[in-house]
Amino acid sequence: MEAVLRQLTNILELLAVSQTDRVREWDRHTAHRAFQWAEYCEQLHSRFQSNPAVRSALESGLNDTNQRLQQALPSYSPVMFSELAQCQHMLLIHLLRNPSAPNSVIRMLFAAQESPFDQNSLITCKSAFNLLCRTPDRTSSAGLQVEAVVRGTLLGQLLSSVLSRSGNDEYARTLLDSILHDSAGKPESLYDVIAAALLSPDDETSSVTQRCVLAWLQEHEGCLTKLCTSLSPGLCTVLSRQSSEFKQAYWGVLKQWASCLEFDVLESLWVPTSDEPVTFLILTDRFKDLLDSGPPLKEETETELRTLKREAGDFSNWEKHTEGKSTLCFSLPADRGRQCSLHHQPCTLFEGYLWYFIYS
Amino acid sequence: MEAVSETDVQFWMAKAVNWGEATSCSALLDTSRHLGSLRSFLQQVLQGLQQMSSTSEAMKMFPFVGQFLGRLCWNPCVIADERSQRLLLRCLNCLYSAEPLNAVEQKANMWIKNMLCHLISEEEGSVAHATVKHAGLTPKRYHSEALQKVVSLMTEEVIKSCDGLPNTSARCSNGNIHAMSTACAALVTCPQMSPLIGALLKHSMLCGSSCLNQEFIKEVSEALISKRLVLEDEAVVNLWCYSPTCLEGAAVSLLESVLSDHETMTQSLDKHVNGSLLPQASADHCHIFISVNEIYRNVLTEIDENLAMRALIQVFTVCFLQRLTGQKPQVQTGFMKDRLPLRAFFPHVMPSLLTPLLTAPSEVPREAWLDHLSWIRSLLQSVTENEEVGEDVRAYQAFFEAWFLLVQCGYWVDTAAELLVLAAPENAEPLLWLLTFFHHPTNRGHQRSQQTAVAREAWTHLRMLFLTRPPPPRHLSAVKELLSSSLSANLVLHLFSNFTVFSHGPVSIITEITDKVLTEAAVKHRALWILASIRCRLNSAATWDDSVHSRLRTLQDTLLQT
Repeated sequence: MEAVLRQLTNILELLAVSQTDRVREWDRHTAHRAFQWAEYCEQLHSRFQSNPAVRSALESGLNDTNQRLQQALPSYSPVMFSELAQCQHMLLIHLLRNPSAPNSVIRMLFAAQESPFDQNSLITCKSAFNLLCRTPDRTSSAGLQVEAVVRGTLLGQLLSSVLSRSGNDEYARTLLDSILHDSAGKPESLYDVIAAALLSPDDETSSVTQRCVLAWLQEHEGCLTKLCTSLSPGLCTVLSRQSSEFKQAYWGVLKQWASCLEFDVLESLWVPTSDEPVTFLILTDRFKDLLDSGPPLKEETETELRTLKREAGDFSNWEKHTEGKSTLCFSLPADRGRQCSLHHQPCTLFEGYLWYFIYS
Repeated sequence: MEAVSETDVQFWMAKAVNWGEATSCSALLDTSRHLGSLRSFLQQVLQGLQQMSSTSEAMKMFPFVGQFLGRLCWNPCVIADERSQRLLLRCLNCLYSAEPLNAVEQKANMWIKNMLCHLISEEEGSVAHATVKHAGLTPKRYHSEALQKVVSLMTEEVIKSCDGLPNTSARCSNGNIHAMSTACAALVTCPQMSPLIGALLKHSMLCGSSCLNQEFIKEVSEALISKRLVLEDEAVVNLWCYSPTCLEGAAVSLLESVLSDHETMTQSLDKHVNGSLLPQASADHCHIFISVNEIYRNVLTEIDENLAMRALIQVFTVCFLQRLTGQKPQVQTGFMKDRLPLRAFFPHVMPSLLTPLLTAPSEVPREAWLDHLSWIRSLLQSVTENEEVGEDVRAYQAFFEAWFLLVQCGYWVDTAAELLVLAAPENAEPLLWLLTFFHHPTNRGHQRSQQTAVAREAWTHLRMLFLTRPPPPRHLSAVKELLSSSLSANLVLHLFSNFTVFSHGPVSIITEITDKVLTEAAVKHRALWILASIRCRLNSAATWDDSVHSRLRTLQDTLLQT
């Protein structure tokens, strides 16, 4: 263990150096050795990634080294354990981006046969993947873009394999944190991938993965809500069918949204009261989709609505009124002509939905 | 010297600008159409760059090159094509200066390094970048798995879109299939692609309408022939059914490979022919058999005396017949597809000829061979009598078809030659007739009657040569003389080879006689082809005769010695 930690420190220092002007002193031999070290590092990752005890020891070693290097070199960016799987690639990129890297070393990286690894098949697979993802009309049945589906599936598989060994919950969350961090500024595009990850593993491991991802989402302030906003009603319905964890979480979000709407008696409209980007229309759309989805989700949602109505206070004197009395209109603009006249009393949204979608 | 013409430069620059990043369907389509010619142009550019002594000189001679290569590197359709990718990278390599002498060269170096970074990694801060970075795999592994996944998703989609029932083309979304095949045109040699390629080809079979991109078909066909792509047998046959051009390409490719390497081919002709999948495809699809025969028949009439061609046709027919009899009855969506009668595969031949010729010698008891051959002879003789009668084109056609059937079923001619080795003089006549007819079918230009006499003469000499020990010099030189005459050579060689293999003397005789008689390399080559067909017939014979095989091997070795 001691030896391994030392080696890991060496490799991190190597990676740090490859970004500085000290690489001027490197020759082909040094570079070759560096790549050999990097390859060894990749093997370390593969051996220990699922082993919680060893990995966390390595992670704390990494942490220490990262801190030390950050103090010594201001431009240094810390290396996570998960990145070690791509050590050779990192080294290559560092050298390519480093203006001080000697040209003889760069040339060596070009030469197809002698270079430490073959770039041709990487380039081919990567551009083939991009090309196929781009062909028109590439959406899955859940309405997700194919690229998101593939990346999400791979992410789901990764999480499943990590979570298959006990004691790796923390690590799984660290992975998700790292991914979020590195998609800096655009978590919205990440949501599609997360949705696909939730949909993907279709076996015994799926609920473990789903629970982990949802727990992670809930830990991050507003993330779950943002996810639900970003995904279409149809997709949320599909997810709810596939994962009871998601279903519960989704209902929670909808309930929260509902509490942000208030009935404006004068306008006869439900209006938002907070900054949440939720409107009556959006909320109704989502409930409609859930209720249209068929058994068992339809019945489950109905039950949930009833529970929510009871919790919000039970207004049970509903009568259908005809003309004469002021009526409470509860209609969807898109549903022309379908109106339900209700008693002039503030009602809860949930009751309204029950009436509108189910009773009427 | 101008490595590239100005017109070409303008044309290709305009194309590169037009294509952009190949995001639109039309850009993708156009790129895939031009991949082949783009590769040639890149080859020219590369050669031009290789002759430059420095990057500065290169930039002066080829001022367009930076922008041009840069744009192509952003076009995934070009980059995904293995050969174009290699050419592009080699061009970049040429432009990289080991020791930059000025600002231009330094800038070029930086630009090239950036380009490489772009090719192997994602834009920082993107979801793609983040998911790859923490995937716990090398980027190569990640993208290989990602590619496999997207291929399997698309394959599933193709399979679902046309689920095997005829007349569901209404349900097929042809535009979708066409778009997919366009994207695949550049990716044909990527090993992960073969399930999707197979599914697209199968779809085209089931759906009937031609919705596959032509470039895609062309690239698949070329890649198969040059062995840069491996597909499942069913997919290859689907390709042939879909595109007659591809089938032709495969038939010609088999022909060329057989003719180009006589040493290997003559020793394993049946294995090679079976490996081409053509016999199996022909057994399953009548039109394939007819097309291949059409091609080979035309080649044969152009190089009439080519023994290699005849051996190929004969072995192809044998392999085909073996596959045909080995076929299980096909069931297609609820109704039994009856086995086609042989008549369907040989539409132009006199039906009475089919049974005797298409029955293999191994299916006929040895004692009955002579009678069987007499039967064949009398049928063929009646056809030749029609030839003499008049200038009737149809009669001539029937005559030619009969002769071609004999070429296809050349194993009977070989059988006749084998029997001649030990035949009594009173039985030789029909056998000699057949042999002569095989090599000299007509009297117009082939001099059949004359050659029959030559055949008898050769046979007499050969009997004396192989039955008397030591081999009498007079017969030796007679045979040699007959072989040197260009008109009769193949006939005599055919007899000679069979005598060598099937006569009963000691094996040492073979080398002795062969060395003296077959002295020219060209003649030895031709003899190897005759051996090839003898070997194929013996491979499917009812019994295995050790001594015959050892004589065959000895003759083969003697002939291969230079």
